[in-house]
Amino acid sequence: MKLLTLSEQLGLVSYRNQSKSEIKPHIVVDTDICNTVCPHKCTTYVCPAKCYTMDEQGQVHFQVEDCIECGTCMYACDQGAVSWEFPDPEIGRGVTWNYG
Amino acid sequence: MDEKFDCIIVGAGVAGLAAAMTLARNNMKFLLIEKGEFPGSKNVSGGVLWGSDLAKLVPNYWEEDGGWDRFINHRRLTFMDDQSAFSVDFKSSHFNEPPYTGVVVLRSKFDRWLADKVQEAIDESDYAMDSFIAPNILVEEVLMENGKATGIRTGDEKFYADSVIIAEGVNNLLTRQVGLQNKYVPADHILTGIKEIIRFDQEVLENRFQLRGKSGMSNEFVGFATDGVEGGGFLYTNQDTLSLGLVLGLKDLREKGKEPYEILNTFKKHPVIADAIHGGEVVEYSAHVVSSGDKRVMPEKLYLPGLLVCGEAANLLMNAGKAIQGMDYAIRSGIIAAEAIINAKKAEDFGETSMKKYQDSLNDSYVMKDINNFQDAVHLLHDPVMTQKMPNLICDFGRNFFSIKNEPTQKARKMFGKSVKKHSSYLELMKLGWKGSRAL
Ligand SMILES: Cc1cc2nc3c(=O)[nH]c(=O)nc-3n(C[C@H](O)[C@H](O)[C@H](O)COP(=O)(O)OP(=O)(O)OC[C@H]3O[C@@H](n4cnc5c(N)ncnc54)[C@H](O)[C@@H]3O)c2cc1C
Ligand code: SF4
Ligand code: SF4
Repeated sequence: MKLLTLSEQLGLVSYRNQSKSEIKPHIVVDTDICNTVCPHKCTTYVCPAKCYTMDEQGQVHFQVEDCIECGTCMYACDQGAVSWEFPDPEIGRGVTWNYG
Repeated sequence: MDEKFDCIIVGAGVAGLAAAMTLARNNMKFLLIEKGEFPGSKNVSGGVLWGSDLAKLVPNYWEEDGGWDRFINHRRLTFMDDQSAFSVDFKSSHFNEPPYTGVVVLRSKFDRWLADKVQEAIDESDYAMDSFIAPNILVEEVLMENGKATGIRTGDEKFYADSVIIAEGVNNLLTRQVGLQNKYVPADHILTGIKEIIRFDQEVLENRFQLRGKSGMSNEFVGFATDGVEGGGFLYTNQDTLSLGLVLGLKDLREKGKEPYEILNTFKKHPVIADAIHGGEVVEYSAHVVSSGDKRVMPEKLYLPGLLVCGEAANLLMNAGKAIQGMDYAIRSGIIAAEAIINAKKAEDFGETSMKKYQDSLNDSYVMKDINNFQDAVHLLHDPVMTQKMPNLICDFGRNFFSIKNEPTQKARKMFGKSVKKHSSYLELMKLGWKGSRAL
């Protein structure tokens, strides 16, 4: 069986409020912390949706659009950089699973 | 909805739905709030619902073709190295008759179906017009007055009740807000679960796994499945799909620097898994955190005046390798929580001692008994000897034992000795055996 790339896997996810151009992010990351004190930058590899990325300069960036609300980063970040809430049903992103 | 409810339940997962069913049947006036578009839409499990408690909620559920996918009559526990799989396989017609001892479910379908059953119970209750299931609403705060829960807030709206049951699942923000869990929960005893749903032609699936009618198979994996990270893998047969996934110790994942989807792909490439899934089409990729069953992550106290915490919000879970039990614990704790609220209502006392009875009953139930009795088994599953060396050793032995060469064959005991020396030592094995015999 052909293996899927992560973007193909995420392409199968039904996200909420996709027609809305502006959404209220349910996770806010203080990337100053990521880029100054964080020794491991683990969220860039443990997040199952790769919402945390590292650029060529080693700087951490975060985007909430692909988030599948798993919760991983809330525990994995031990540096206090992640403020984690659930998405607002009306103006947030987040998922609706078809199987679950 | 100006009036006060007897109870507000937060979260229409299995715990919240079990509590709601119990309240509805006992003529209580309640509000069940769910943030998802519909109950189940936010939920992920493996998932086998073990045991027979489902029949407590929906008697004779097996008579209708809805909600659940297959009953389990075939179980397999597989030890893996990079090329081989050594399985303990058990199939029995003992498991063929209802009440089944395990059913495979897909939460988006199952929770929604169960919520319909709860609605039917509401319709038959005295509060048919006054109890509600309310999806699409996010509870942002539990309202507390003088240390007692009085209701909830969503946006600018507030709803009041004599009691609140928190059934919000493992990402328990409200349990943290009321102070029963620390604001920050470290990764130590938390796992990340990831999963794919793989679709087949139903006949292909049934032939491949020897399924007949609604019978199904559950397979857990230890060893190479998780590519050196603590945890395990699973494969369950649904009606026309497979649930294939992993649960990965989050602290270990962080330390080993691995990406969960890469580990899943490595697992899918394993010859045994590749054979099981070939020809299938991935139709969903999902992930969700899951607790470990380690008591160290559980809140010590599960109640406050007017408030109870049940299901995985209380980190009630057991994973000692042969199965993940989260949903059955959620159901039982949801039922017990609702019973405590019903009794409190009768006594008109929602105070501390009245609410404590919930935790006392929970301690007397199989949920806390098993959690308390099997802590060593939970630790064992996270022991690197168990997750790596042991599966390698077993597969090495299997390879020798099952290879027939045209040369003199060694006795099994000698073969085993060689495998032990190659991957471990007798001392390590004895220690593990000792730990294991006490743990199980
Ligand atoms: C990959 C994986 C495999 C698993 N395999 C199995 C298995 O095979 N067998 C098994 O028994 N268990 C399994 N589990 C564990 C099981 O899924 C959970 O233990 C179980 O779902 C817990 O049920 P719950 O009702 O307590 O919580 P959940 O099912 O998480 O439900 C909580 C509900 O509350 C809602 N909610 C949360 N916060 C709010 C809020 N503020 N406002 C409104 N609504 C809210 C959520 O949307 C959700 O619907 C697995 C878990 C994972 C991740
Ligand atoms: S672990 Fe926390 S601080 Fe480190 S990169 Fe990730 S979010 Fe930033
Ligand atoms: S909740 Fe999960 S998917 Fe979302 S950003 Fe955090 S780790 Fe990634």
